[in-house]
Amino acid sequence: MNETAFKNVKSLPSSHLLGTGTPMCAGCGGLEALHEIYDVLGEKSVFVNAAGCMTLLAVYPFTPFRGSWLYTAMASAPAGAQGIRDALDILKQKGEIEEEEDLQVVTLTGDGAAYGMGLSATSGVIERNLDFLYICYDNEGYGNTGQQYSGATPHGAKTATSLGLSGFAGYKKPLFDIWAAHRPAYVATVIGAEPLDLARKIEKAKSLKGPRLIIALSPCPTGWDFDPKESVNIGKLAVKSGVWPLKEYVDGQVVHTKLPTRRLPVVRYLETQGRFRHLFEPERQEGLLKEIQQRVDEYWAAVTC
Amino acid sequence: MFRIRFHGRGGQGMKTASRILGTAFFLEGYEVQDAPRYGAERRGAPIFAFVRADRRPIQERGIIRQADLVVVADDSLVPVPAADVLAGCDANTVLLINSFQSAEVWRQRLNLQGPILTLPAMEDVEDRAELPYVGAACAGAAAGLSGVIGQTSLEQAIAEELGHLGAAVIAANLERASNAFQSLSEQAGLVKPGRTFSAEGWQTPDWIELPFEQADVSAPAIHAGLTSEAIKTGAWRTMRPLVDYARCNRCWWVCSTFCPDGAIRVDEERYPQIDYDHCKGCLICVAQCPPHAISAVAEHLAAEGVES
Ligand SMILES: Cc1ncc(C[n+]2csc(CCOP(=O)(O)OP(=O)(O)O)c2C)c(N)n1
Ligand code: SF4
Ligand SMILES: [Mg+2]
Repeated sequence: MNETAFKNVKSLPSSHLLGTGTPMCAGCGGLEALHEIYDVLGEKSVFVNAAGCMTLLAVYPFTPFRGSWLYTAMASAPAGAQGIRDALDILKQKGEIEEEEDLQVVTLTGDGAAYGMGLSATSGVIERNLDFLYICYDNEGYGNTGQQYSGATPHGAKTATSLGLSGFAGYKKPLFDIWAAHRPAYVATVIGAEPLDLARKIEKAKSLKGPRLIIALSPCPTGWDFDPKESVNIGKLAVKSGVWPLKEYVDGQVVHTKLPTRRLPVVRYLETQGRFRHLFEPERQEGLLKEIQQRVDEYWAAVTC
Repeated sequence: MFRIRFHGRGGQGMKTASRILGTAFFLEGYEVQDAPRYGAERRGAPIFAFVRADRRPIQERGIIRQADLVVVADDSLVPVPAADVLAGCDANTVLLINSFQSAEVWRQRLNLQGPILTLPAMEDVEDRAELPYVGAACAGAAAGLSGVIGQTSLEQAIAEELGHLGAAVIAANLERASNAFQSLSEQAGLVKPGRTFSAEGWQTPDWIELPFEQADVSAPAIHAGLTSEAIKTGAWRTMRPLVDYARCNRCWWVCSTFCPDGAIRVDEERYPQIDYDHCKGCLICVAQCPPHAISAVAEHLAAEGVES
């Protein structure tokens, strides 16, 4: 699909659908991505939320959504989406709702659920070719419970459960590849700091049927330790340094939607966040910094399109 | 037993304040409990933390309802019902508020019987980056008012509790805490260990039997969209973004797109209008506006400007 309603930044929505008054932190990159996504997705959607920060979006009797929202256990949001999709299909079959009353079923979870606990439920629904959209806001840790590490935590980052001088010893799981290996209709990475790229991808996802899965890197002032006002700058740096590749998988092909021609050094990104401060102070950890840069370089060396 | 409650916003270091004070009491030989209490809300939302300290083992549990000292790190919380800052305050409760307003103003406003003090140490703070130290200042002030904690114990407690943050952070916190401690030296001992409560006078509440209801009646269903707008998250703000409309070039609504909270509307003339009832003061708009048409002003100054 080459046709897009989003020709340039000026065609981005200037009014917004998501309500104000949510309990998410000031400067939350996840909320930023969600509000941009919701504008494109539209109000004919129903959200299925796994435990995480965004559970708090809809705390009775308050909701920022215009439609329904369902809360599931942390591992089960895709299964919840299956139930809702099936129910909607049955209602349509019985003639109890019209085609135009149908809803997009959206699973909304953090990375803890997406990269870890909920991965098997996701694998199951992709296998069953569920017609749904998955949005993972990836703040690279268990934000809601105090930023313990998750399967999405980057190498070297400090979390509540990786406090040593070298930070988290593991590596961020390649969830995009894991999802894409299931051959769903669509997989994409987005970030709120690149709203045009995001809008086009949500527009495309919306036009497709079957499992469509989106990962939004979500700068988290609380968990990553930075001034909330830097949230978008840090998001842009994640893209410009090549740490967060913007790409999509469709028709069996992975295509990068932004090829950084002159990649910024990764330290430019790392030094903005308290969770990486131990890489610079009290002593600069050249070895670890070099390794992190090398991994990013290796990734891009293998990219052709 | 001393019962002390700290009120602040998530991110202002109230949990740390309670830990510092608890450790300082402990170093003076007290039995101590300290605990933070926050609900489902996050940075910027009201939270409180509390400390109990006694010479004897502490049997009391749970949150402190009647405190001997209530420390309020952020005076904008006083009128917020959810913060419940004044819960249980009576003639024996000392209220210490970090505020630009005088203690006299607060006395008139609140009509409380107990002593009211303001925390002078933070009056000069306009820079948000300084705010994390308010926790240390609150702990230092509380230690001073108790009259039983020496400056050495306070300093040792800070070094213990903040040790992992490095020398510079410890030094800044020490300075804030010591200033607050010393500025209240004349009031040392103003806070007295409170009364003992006993289970004797406890009256069980009248129980109400609720009939069993079907799930479609009893389940918490929300029957309308956008109800979150009833929550005025504007009260979270410490800095206020102000648009200079002469500089705004009516771009592609950068500020409105990036505002995580959707608190910036674009009007018919394509100018941004900030919804101050809901803007949390993250200041992403200030950082992103291409012609730098949005600036940040300390909330209390902006509020005064609006009133005058
Ligand atoms: C099965 C289960 N284990 C643990 C929890 C506690 N818990 C609630 S939210 C959360 C963190 C979730 O992390 P993530 O999915 O990344 O979302 P975030 O909090 O970062 O938004 C955890 C561990 C839970 N609700 N359910
Ligand atoms: S902890 Fe992070 S992800 Fe969670 S609400 Fe706060 S900023 Fe957002
Ligand atoms: Mg997370």
